[in-house]
Amino acid sequence: MAKDKNTGTEYTAPLRRLLTAVFVLLLLAVFLVWRIDSPRVERLRAQITDRIVPNMDWAMAPVTGTVGLLRDFQSYQRLADQNQELRSELRQMRAWKEAALQLEQENARLLDLNNVQLDPRLTFITGVVLADSGSPYRQSVLFYIGERDGLVDGWATMDGIGLVGRIAGLAPNTARVLLLTDANSRVPATIQPSGQRALVSGDNTATPLVEFIENRDVVRPGDRVVSSGDGGIFPAGLLIGSLEGDRNGRLRVRLSADYERLKFLRVMRHYGTPTVSDSVGIIRDGIPLGEPENGERAASSE
Amino acid sequence: MAKGQQAVNNTPGFILWSMRLAFVAIAVMTLLSGLLPLQTVPRNWAGPDLLFCLALAWSVRRPEYVPIWLLATVFLLADFILSRPPGLAAALILVACGNMQSRARPLHVAGFMTEWLRAAVLIVAVAVFYRTVLAILLVPTPPLGLHATQVIGTALAYPIVVMISALLFGIRMATPGELDNIGQRP
Repeated sequence: MAKDKNTGTEYTAPLRRLLTAVFVLLLLAVFLVWRIDSPRVERLRAQITDRIVPNMDWAMAPVTGTVGLLRDFQSYQRLADQNQELRSELRQMRAWKEAALQLEQENARLLDLNNVQLDPRLTFITGVVLADSGSPYRQSVLFYIGERDGLVDGWATMDGIGLVGRIAGLAPNTARVLLLTDANSRVPATIQPSGQRALVSGDNTATPLVEFIENRDVVRPGDRVVSSGDGGIFPAGLLIGSLEGDRNGRLRVRLSADYERLKFLRVMRHYGTPTVSDSVGIIRDGIPLGEPENGERAASSE
Repeated sequence: MAKGQQAVNNTPGFILWSMRLAFVAIAVMTLLSGLLPLQTVPRNWAGPDLLFCLALAWSVRRPEYVPIWLLATVFLLADFILSRPPGLAAALILVACGNMQSRARPLHVAGFMTEWLRAAVLIVAVAVFYRTVLAILLVPTPPLGLHATQVIGTALAYPIVVMISALLFGIRMATPGELDNIGQRP
């Protein structure tokens, strides 16, 4: 190479290398800080997202709308099939509606008879989904309601029917909802009607795994999976989905919530399940009420 | 060639800064298009990392349009927005792009296939180092199959990104004479 060609790079190349090294070290420092003090950096992340994403809504909303339109247009082509499907589904629904009405009346009668007070504090806030995680490795959505609206980390999020996830990451205007399908999601659940306790753990597939079942013989595919409220974060009894087996013989949940169209989600306000921690309140005449049951459980586990 | 050289020689700061701005604009658009809430069901494949491709392609062609500080800022922002561990992927991508920038001239002489091969090697290396560091620090790594589809997709998307940036933005290999002039620019 000629001498004059090198003169330019002689100074810039080492300088560039030095600059690169400095920036790489800075970035690695950020990474290490995140590894050491994750909550604080995650909070920073929530705030950065909070600044940027809602401001870009004007650009994103039309595109989302257009793609939605195109998808709907595609579905027009299958109109006849869908019509047939809907008709058959409607017939089934009528039957179910009848059953539901009868059950509702029966339920109302029974509640009346028992003088049951339902928890009036379990109300919800509805928010619009603003964005998804933007990465195939994370399953989460961003919500356009946040700390400002009184949300609290950990609250359960549902669509109209089933559980969708929980709030993980709050900023003043936005909140991130960790979906049940995310690899970091773990939700304690009860399987009905057998009452077995299990853990619904996401693994980045559409159907989360059901793990840690005590007795697998009493559950079968099609059983309802609802949140158990263990751990006190979620209210008990929120529908998650129905049980099914996969090819490897593991149990999975087919989620009831419609993950194809997450648009409006409701966050359940939940102020913790009051737990009975001391035995003083339930001892009457010196005989604790819970004792026989405990004894029985100990006997059965042995 | 003479015409192109003249154009670059006369490159005013305006063109330089507008191309940098164009890079930022493309980056933001790529990030936002990923954020659109269209795909909330988990997939078993992952699309290519177009931003990484673009940074590599521009690094080898017009390093002055993608200076290190700009790349660092954009990829750190990407890490934050895409809920990746912040900093790690950005640092590795920065090393890869720096490597591409320093090899611009030999790669130009060697031809496109060599350049593509080098880009592919860098893409795989970034993924391997990323997973290794995460594993060492006991951070959950992304699923292997999913990550593999993304790495392969990114490597395959490289020529397409090169073609599009040549057609839309006129980003072509600088000839050796041009490199000197740009290199001397502070």
